[in-house]
Amino acid sequence: MTLLKINKIIAILGIIILFMACDKIFEFSPYDANVKEECKNTTAKNLQLIKDIQIDSDTFSFAFVTDNHYHYSNLRNVIDDINKKNDILFVIFGGDIADQALLKEYEIFYSIMKNLNKPYLTVIGNHDYNSNGEIVYKQMFGDYNYSFEFNHNKFVIFDDVVWESNKNPDFGWLSTQLTDNAFFKQVFVIAHIPPFTDQFDSDMEQTYKSLMQENNVSLSIHGHIHSYSFGKIYEDSVNYLTVPWLKKPTYCIVNVHNKSFNIELIEL
Amino acid sequence: MKVRNIFTLFIALLSFSNAFAQDSTLTKDKTWYFPDYAKVQFAGNIGFFSVGFGYQFLSNHLYSELLYGYVPVSISKAEKIHTITIKNTFPTFTEKINEITLSPITGFTASFETGNNSFLKLPDKYPKGYYSTNAFHFTFFIGASVHKDFINSKIINGVDLYFELGTVDTYLWYGIISKEVMVNKIFSSAIGINLFF
Repeated sequence: MTLLKINKIIAILGIIILFMACDKIFEFSPYDANVKEECKNTTAKNLQLIKDIQIDSDTFSFAFVTDNHYHYSNLRNVIDDINKKNDILFVIFGGDIADQALLKEYEIFYSIMKNLNKPYLTVIGNHDYNSNGEIVYKQMFGDYNYSFEFNHNKFVIFDDVVWESNKNPDFGWLSTQLTDNAFFKQVFVIAHIPPFTDQFDSDMEQTYKSLMQENNVSLSIHGHIHSYSFGKIYEDSVNYLTVPWLKKPTYCIVNVHNKSFNIELIEL
Repeated sequence: MKVRNIFTLFIALLSFSNAFAQDSTLTKDKTWYFPDYAKVQFAGNIGFFSVGFGYQFLSNHLYSELLYGYVPVSISKAEKIHTITIKNTFPTFTEKINEITLSPITGFTASFETGNNSFLKLPDKYPKGYYSTNAFHFTFFIGASVHKDFINSKIINGVDLYFELGTVDTYLWYGIISKEVMVNKIFSSAIGINLFF
């Protein structure tokens, strides 16, 4: 009898402690898109951090991590590894932040990325558009298309999701962003879906390929296909890189040297 | 507007039960399909508010309910969310303290929602098997319920007040497979009331 009572008291205390510790006391639906104020405008905040980086060399590195879906432990391992490498100045995440694109998935991703000791930017992936993900992404990160300059290089972040977004990629915007390519040492384009895969029809593929070629893009970086590939896909000078997903703790480092670059595949 | 409709429905349900209950309160001789109780719940991943009715089965070891949950735009920050839920609650044991009965409870819900870019059947633009349906979610919960009977009341025979801690299937799965997903990030609370006819 006494033992039963003690068990009951322990159970009640357990529930009370869990209640007190809950991140959110009440939740109303998995489809909620109510992003916490502190998690908003992540892209703008990180662009400012990148702007503040002081660098007096032509050589620098950035990491490309992609396709988390729900491999949170591997994401954490990769983040811890990147933290140890001082030559990596910032991280770009290649999309599929979430799997069902529930707010909870975005929040878990956000909390893990808080462990990163350098700035990071994201591009939206096709999975990130599911459920209310489009709204959550906009609130938590910001624009789907944007660009920035770093150390006389231009980075163009391009939303090329077709099916889940119910819209065609904004190639007009991409073209405008690339017209000033002659002013930069190199131009890097980052989009979740590679032009040579499922969601692109042949017209879109042709458009993308031509834009890269005509604007002297050095490297077009992607996720989506979950495997590593690097090289010239078309008969032109543009390199295409696809980075593996986080089912295993893998990512790529892009080492930029003046007007060239090289790729390292890291498998932890 | 919507919230008013829900309350109207709830009041209508109560009055309806009252009309039936006039003669049968004492004997509990109700038509088999007539619900045993009405329910209002706040939160719990099945709506901002959910309302519905329920039945007691297996000599009160199972409480089954059909609920409609609603999340207004001001809360969801997206579209309105309409959720249809079947909820099953199991009182693990009961303990009578004077007039009230205390029960630890456990249970699960199965919810259906479409409209927030969720789908039952995969849209034609996708290759076969690209996604499975994202219109269903399950929740699991534990909690406690307090019951009190109203012996002399003609409208409501008794009331349950309950409190729960619960999580969604997807969240629980992430919590199990990943040490990065802590239990306090995936559990949240719900409170509610059952009014017995």
